[in-house]
Amino acid sequence: MKRVISVRKRALAANDERAGSLRERFAAAGTLVVNLISSPGSGKTSLLEATVRRLDPGLRCAVLEGDVATQRDAERIRAAGAPAHQILTGGACHLDARQIVTGLEEAGFTDLDILFIENVGNLICPTSYDLGEDFKVALLSVTEGDDKPFKYPAIFSRAEVTVVTKIDLLAHVAFDLPAVEEQVRTLNPSARIVRTSATTGEGIDRWCSLLTERLRAKGAATA
Amino acid sequence: MHEMGIAVEIYRAARDAVRDHGSGRLETVTVSIGELSAVEPELLRFAWEAVVAGGPDAGATLSIRWCPADQHCPACGEAKDRSDGSWLRLCPDCGNPLSINGGTELDVEQVIFVPEETT
Repeated sequence: MKRVISVRKRALAANDERAGSLRERFAAAGTLVVNLISSPGSGKTSLLEATVRRLDPGLRCAVLEGDVATQRDAERIRAAGAPAHQILTGGACHLDARQIVTGLEEAGFTDLDILFIENVGNLICPTSYDLGEDFKVALLSVTEGDDKPFKYPAIFSRAEVTVVTKIDLLAHVAFDLPAVEEQVRTLNPSARIVRTSATTGEGIDRWCSLLTERLRAKGAATA
Repeated sequence: MHEMGIAVEIYRAARDAVRDHGSGRLETVTVSIGELSAVEPELLRFAWEAVVAGGPDAGATLSIRWCPADQHCPACGEAKDRSDGSWLRLCPDCGNPLSINGGTELDVEQVIFVPEETT
């Protein structure tokens, strides 16, 4: 005789529970956690290098780097002056909360003001996985084409901040920046949009101010 | 292709449910997938087959209930269709932002299994 069980449970409930515990831990520690998501080569690591160089040196920042292979990104961040730990996914296209728990244990990061999580380069899969972050950031470089927000709506509608990168190359490519910003606002009317160039430094101050504002707000909320 | 990871989680949730009610072989697992969940039903079915293949639950069926998002225009007061493949959240008639409900489901709803003693 067959048996029928009513389950009614999120398919990713195990991940969501771990992410919830991480969020509580980060709240207790007053750590702002930022999950950066983009396609490969759009400049996540370059933005983070510029960010850790520009942020107030009094702030304790660290980076968890997600990649399929190589330690290269963690080495780049350490060379820029911040502690970094590489999480290798061995083929998986996204990070999940369990990997963040393990990565933090292995890295031994303590008392952080800001933890950056650089997700695996992919605009689709990381969208579904909560990592306990305060907010997701979607990056889009001007060389990728100006139709991407509407082509990958899930991430652009869920990211609180969209960073348009490689803005120094705008003169060389057909990229309609106002159209992109309109697409992002259509998907997510409250999105903040920051234009940056890690090469020239344009917009990095604005991006860093956004981070320190959010850090202050989090500190005020948990104090 | 995060559908593989999601298929593994669905399988775990289904196995946990069977364990809570005894033991046996999975026959059908029903899931709800919302159109805004960033999960492709065809890829999920394919991943599911790979997850159960060769194991004690080989051949178990994944039944997918597709859940469209409900959207209506607060200004016109009407439900609005979105053109296929578009995520535009503006009313096609008056341009106001649409109010969206649901469509983000990614849930395990029901598990049917054949208890061990009768297999």
